[in-house]
Amino acid sequence: MPDTSDERGKEEPRLDRRELLKKAAVGAAAVGVSGGAAPFSFAGPHKYKGRWLKGDLSIIQWVHFVPAYDDWFDNTWVKTWGQTNDVQVKVEHINNTLLDTRAAAEVAAQSGHDLFMAIHPMASLEDQVINHAPVVQEIEAKVGKYGPLGRASTYNPKTKKYFAVSDSYVPDPVIWRHDLWNGIGEAPYTWDHVAKAAPKLKQLGHPIGIGQSQELDSNMALIAFLMCFGGFIQNADNHPTINSKHTVEAVKFMVDLYKNGEDSVIFGWKPASNNNYLYSGTASMILNAISATRTPESLGLPFSKDLWIWPIPSGPHGRLGLEHVMGCYSIWKFAQNKQNAQQFLADLCINYKQATLASQLYNFPSFPGAFSFDQIRKAAAADTHPPKGKYTILTTIAEKYTHNIGYPGTTNAAIDEIFSKYLIPQMFAQVSQGKLSAAESVRDTMSAAKNIYAKWRARGKI
Amino acid sequence: MTSGWRHKAFSYGVVVPFAIVLAFPFLWMAVTSFKPEAQVYDPTKVWTFHPTLASYGFLFHHTGYLRWLRNSSFVGLMVVLITLAVALPAGYALARLSGRVGRSLGVAIFLTYLVPPTLLFLPLSRVISRLHLEDRLWALILVYPSFTIPFAVWLLMGFFKTIPQELEDAALIDGCSRLGSLVRIVFPISIPGILTVVIFTFSLVVNEFVYAITFISSSTNRTLTVGVPTDLIRGDLFNWPGIMAAILIPSIPLALVYNAFLNRFIAGFTGGAFR
Repeated sequence: MPDTSDERGKEEPRLDRRELLKKAAVGAAAVGVSGGAAPFSFAGPHKYKGRWLKGDLSIIQWVHFVPAYDDWFDNTWVKTWGQTNDVQVKVEHINNTLLDTRAAAEVAAQSGHDLFMAIHPMASLEDQVINHAPVVQEIEAKVGKYGPLGRASTYNPKTKKYFAVSDSYVPDPVIWRHDLWNGIGEAPYTWDHVAKAAPKLKQLGHPIGIGQSQELDSNMALIAFLMCFGGFIQNADNHPTINSKHTVEAVKFMVDLYKNGEDSVIFGWKPASNNNYLYSGTASMILNAISATRTPESLGLPFSKDLWIWPIPSGPHGRLGLEHVMGCYSIWKFAQNKQNAQQFLADLCINYKQATLASQLYNFPSFPGAFSFDQIRKAAAADTHPPKGKYTILTTIAEKYTHNIGYPGTTNAAIDEIFSKYLIPQMFAQVSQGKLSAAESVRDTMSAAKNIYAKWRARGKI
Repeated sequence: MTSGWRHKAFSYGVVVPFAIVLAFPFLWMAVTSFKPEAQVYDPTKVWTFHPTLASYGFLFHHTGYLRWLRNSSFVGLMVVLITLAVALPAGYALARLSGRVGRSLGVAIFLTYLVPPTLLFLPLSRVISRLHLEDRLWALILVYPSFTIPFAVWLLMGFFKTIPQELEDAALIDGCSRLGSLVRIVFPISIPGILTVVIFTFSLVVNEFVYAITFISSSTNRTLTVGVPTDLIRGDLFNWPGIMAAILIPSIPLALVYNAFLNRFIAGFTGGAFR
């Protein structure tokens, strides 16, 4: 077959030195570009450049009370951390009331998320989690000492184990309607002031809103209230001490406050109920975190400028408050990606300034070195919502009046059980509803508490 | 004439207030779903109404609402099929074949329906984990029949008892097999009972919360009952217009289905009551 092509007619292009250099440069550039892009182009398991950790990371945590925090956490922090560490992070949010149920289910199944966030220390699940001491040490090496509140809430001195790491806590101020209180010439400086003002406020259609229900906010408010009267669930050695004359006096005081200045709706409340009571324009005072002021600000409610923030009113024993929410992350022993979970947790706590700002000063870092009180105070002073500067008091509340559940002892498994079973709100509600006398109710609570302490002591946890 | 007028007046006198009371929540739901969010919270604007479709827009564009609906429907339909497949023969067998033992067994089966999910979710968590069904809709499809089947068996058992035995005997004499008589004679007559089971099973599944929140965690696999409170209640901030819109939308077809089959539904439910 004859060759019909004109190949021979073509001249081979000459490859001179200049052409060779040009082609080499283009080739090198192409190899460089494609090489650099390789981790992205050929994603496979290597999703990001620089793979430091292996596997994935699954996190479950609450739906934050300040929606902006979740936006930051999911879309900024998690994404950036995932890219930096080449880890596929999956975050799931559930309502705070369902976290305990979910934890129980994961423990029962011995399977679940790598990082589990609770809003109170889950001391009773200590055997199910790793010792988080290395995480705490890594954070301390970067930002300084663990705050006393975080340590008292997540460290078991008996077993010498960190059963969680607290990233943050939330100060629990009293939020009150200045316009209404001013109208009757009062302010909630002490509990006596509250008791004096409550009947007048109720008469005006604006009762006090402190719950006596089986839910988080009632628990926090009533335990703090007890402490202001010298009633403590346990002492510094973690022995139950609830049955005291101070507790009985506190119960009687609260029952009077309910009868004269509250409404029976408080017996059926959920964690958001006191907030909604305030937003509806009904409540004149609640004990809650600043989500209760942030929401009216964002919704532009007419009285948002009249919402004032103060420390908990002072009682006969002083001004002793609790954290409102204790952010506690735990890593299950059965978690699939423990290393990633530890690194994520450490990095989050080290960089907590971003988180505090994203939460609009709702979350305070449990490692104070991550974002100092002075810095937080400056950020609070810059907040423009009227009355201007109202959030600066939060740092004082955090520094001076915020304690752990179980104060003056540590948050232990018995405290966790008493807290989770809502024994304290029950103790108050039984008397307010006329079912028991104050002394009887306190005695019953002590009896239940003793059994709980005996159980956990037998298990070597206290 | 006077008696008829009185009868009508009495009927309407009873029905109209009753209907208003029952319809009011739906009206409130519809009105709230069209309100701006800030207006719902503002106590000075309770009776102000500036309609907006914002909450519907939010629902469809910023949440996985359609997916939740699809998930709920899928799980509901699968559970209905499984329930019917098990409960129809079981109900028939207990009603026809077992005599006194069948009755006792029927009651025993129904009693299992009374065990609350709040107790069962812990052991079932382990089952789901062993089967590697965590965070999958199949976990719900596996678990839900544990409470729909006992109820359906009990209901169908009562219904089958109302069907005269002679009809089946006639079919058997005419050469029909036991299965044939079941399919050709019993099931067609049992349509009201079967419909009742379908509607009730579907409602139970769509309304279920504890298992759904325990076994499903990712937003994409959530059912309606879990998706709405999780994504529309942001901490203490209830997106009331969104919540109302989310509930209103599935209520409408469900209400229409209930109405369309109301008579059969009542017949199905009361079928076993006269025997």
